[in-house]
Amino acid sequence: MDERKDAPVTPAVGESGQDAYIRAEVEELEASPDYDVALESLGQWELAWRRFRKHRMAIVGSALFFTMVLAGVVGPFILPFDLYTIPYPDVIDSFGRGPMLGHPFGETARLQWDVLMLVVNGTRLSLLIGVLASIIATVIGALVGGIAGYFGGLVDTILMRIVDSLLTLPLLFVVLVFTKFLGSGNWLSVTIIFGLFGWLGIARLVRAILLSLREEDYVDAARAAGVGNFRIIFRHLMPNALSPIIVATTLSVAGVIIGEAFVSFLGFGVGPETPTLGNILSGSQDTIINGNWWWAFFPGAAIVVIVLGINFMGDGLRDALDPRAKI
Amino acid sequence: MTQPASLAPSPAAPDAELPLIEVEHLKTYYPIRAGIIRRTVGQVKAVDDVSFQIRKGEVFGLVGESGCGKTTLGRTLLRLEKATAGQVKMEGRNILAFKGDDLKALRRRIQVIFQDPVGSLNPRMPVSDIIGEGLMAQATAENGWADRTARDKRTGDYLEVVGLRRDYARRYPHEFSGGQRQRIGIARALALDPEFVFADEPVSALDVSIQSQILNLMSDLREQFNLTYLFVAHNLSVVQYISDRVGVMYLGKIVEVADVADLYAHPRHPYTVALLSAVPDPDPRVRKKRLVLHGDVPSPAKPPTGCRFHTRCWLREQLGNPEQCSAEDPAPRDMGGGHQVACHFAEQVSKSVASETIHGVIASKTQETGPVVAGA
Repeated sequence: MDERKDAPVTPAVGESGQDAYIRAEVEELEASPDYDVALESLGQWELAWRRFRKHRMAIVGSALFFTMVLAGVVGPFILPFDLYTIPYPDVIDSFGRGPMLGHPFGETARLQWDVLMLVVNGTRLSLLIGVLASIIATVIGALVGGIAGYFGGLVDTILMRIVDSLLTLPLLFVVLVFTKFLGSGNWLSVTIIFGLFGWLGIARLVRAILLSLREEDYVDAARAAGVGNFRIIFRHLMPNALSPIIVATTLSVAGVIIGEAFVSFLGFGVGPETPTLGNILSGSQDTIINGNWWWAFFPGAAIVVIVLGINFMGDGLRDALDPRAKI
Repeated sequence: MTQPASLAPSPAAPDAELPLIEVEHLKTYYPIRAGIIRRTVGQVKAVDDVSFQIRKGEVFGLVGESGCGKTTLGRTLLRLEKATAGQVKMEGRNILAFKGDDLKALRRRIQVIFQDPVGSLNPRMPVSDIIGEGLMAQATAENGWADRTARDKRTGDYLEVVGLRRDYARRYPHEFSGGQRQRIGIARALALDPEFVFADEPVSALDVSIQSQILNLMSDLREQFNLTYLFVAHNLSVVQYISDRVGVMYLGKIVEVADVADLYAHPRHPYTVALLSAVPDPDPRVRKKRLVLHGDVPSPAKPPTGCRFHTRCWLREQLGNPEQCSAEDPAPRDMGGGHQVACHFAEQVSKSVASETIHGVIASKTQETGPVVAGA
């Protein structure tokens, strides 16, 4: 690529001009700082990170997602509003005010809360619920699916029939009923319920992966060398199953956030005293007809940005974690 | 649990005729399960009553169509597949009954080279771990393989043995070509210092130019390390090139065993004759008529009665469909010189081939080791 120096190559004694030229090329290559780097092998995580960096949508998605995480984590502390202080106690009712200086997302009707403050607090809780519930779901799902896939046979049959029958339940109604009776309004119980019902897909995924990995030649090779079951599971099966699991977990965060918003919107999820993106929307539904759009728009946009970011990031992870992919 | 089998003293001058592996009436069946309670409703007889011997230091080639049980047979010897019945003896002990420490010691003596160079290396492990893992599993006080530096040194040594650079140990499988990966697979097997290597179609997934490299490498290594191979392939030329003796398998049975020159020059089983007629001749002027078998291989879940080959046998047709073929399972017979054939009418085969009555399978220029050539 670089401009080649046109310095003439002097052939050594008994060397043809062409050989001398090749020698010069090789010497130049060996002198370049990239020469050793190319010979050095990169670790798999480093390779994955390189691929991820080149994935434009993944970078955009991560930027969106981590901006929202930052807003959720830091926002409540730097905004000059307190969630539990009614800003204008003497004003009994109000139509709310649109975006303006000092309140860029506007103020809600009735209590005149700052919408930006509601959104950052809601984002924080929604993300927390999404991540925690996904982790619970992944742990249960990986365990159940892993046992079913590795041991196979009767264990597999029984576990998978249980999964099948749970999948026939209309999940949303089950969640609604459970949140109603098991401490509606408490965000932790909502999280646990989503975790306890969200593992089915992951269990199926992990089972399918282990079923196919179990038959790989390298597993046979390890077995033929006398490598034990424990090491086969943790050095051969798990690392190869890890990337689809990471991707599934990432994408399930988005699913839980939407699910929680839905349940809260219907009034069955987290109570109105703790704002989540869903119940902020729920609160706004009566006033939107008065042209009070900002109360609904900003939390809605926050959901869209988070879910979009996670999905892009998940797709990027899926591509980046494939060791066969080229950089 | 007494003493590791590998400590058995090896004779100073190994007798070439000494059997290393004796397979006796080996059967490997897979259950066919159906219904919710997974009831066994039938069996796939992948390997059905097979007996043969592999001599110390030889290359025993195993040929046959896809699905005839070649790979299952090898995997059963490796103890990766559970045998249904029969014995496999190594130094007089039935290795199919080995457990615990005995089995672990056995695993070191019997190694495997796989067909698929992509699937046989874990994509998430560097080569140092791929080769070093077996060493770690087989570490003892004597070999000192529990030590990481000792393992790394041995890994590098064996990479050089198979013609790769030492520092490739740090790389991952996806950084190599198919031939290089197969070399890594060979290094993995040999690093454990095995006596017997099961090569499961080691070259059939490779480029033709690479095939010969790997075959030559395997031949060299065999001399260097005193190895015995069980070499499975469906490419008859490859088997002819590398093997000392060849077994022909059809539908779970070994139908013919002979020295390679003898088998290729004087096939005694009608199935072998048909297989050999399918070998392409590199000489374009040779007009060769192929003996094409009719129909598919029958299902190994429901093999034909009597001789398994009788449904597709051209000789049976020629002889006017004798009753014996479909009624009686032919036992292997010795035709002299260790040439074993499982066919009721093996004598007729040689007669037919010699008198050129078989259409297309006429050995006109019968060379000692040459493939079957048809007369123009």
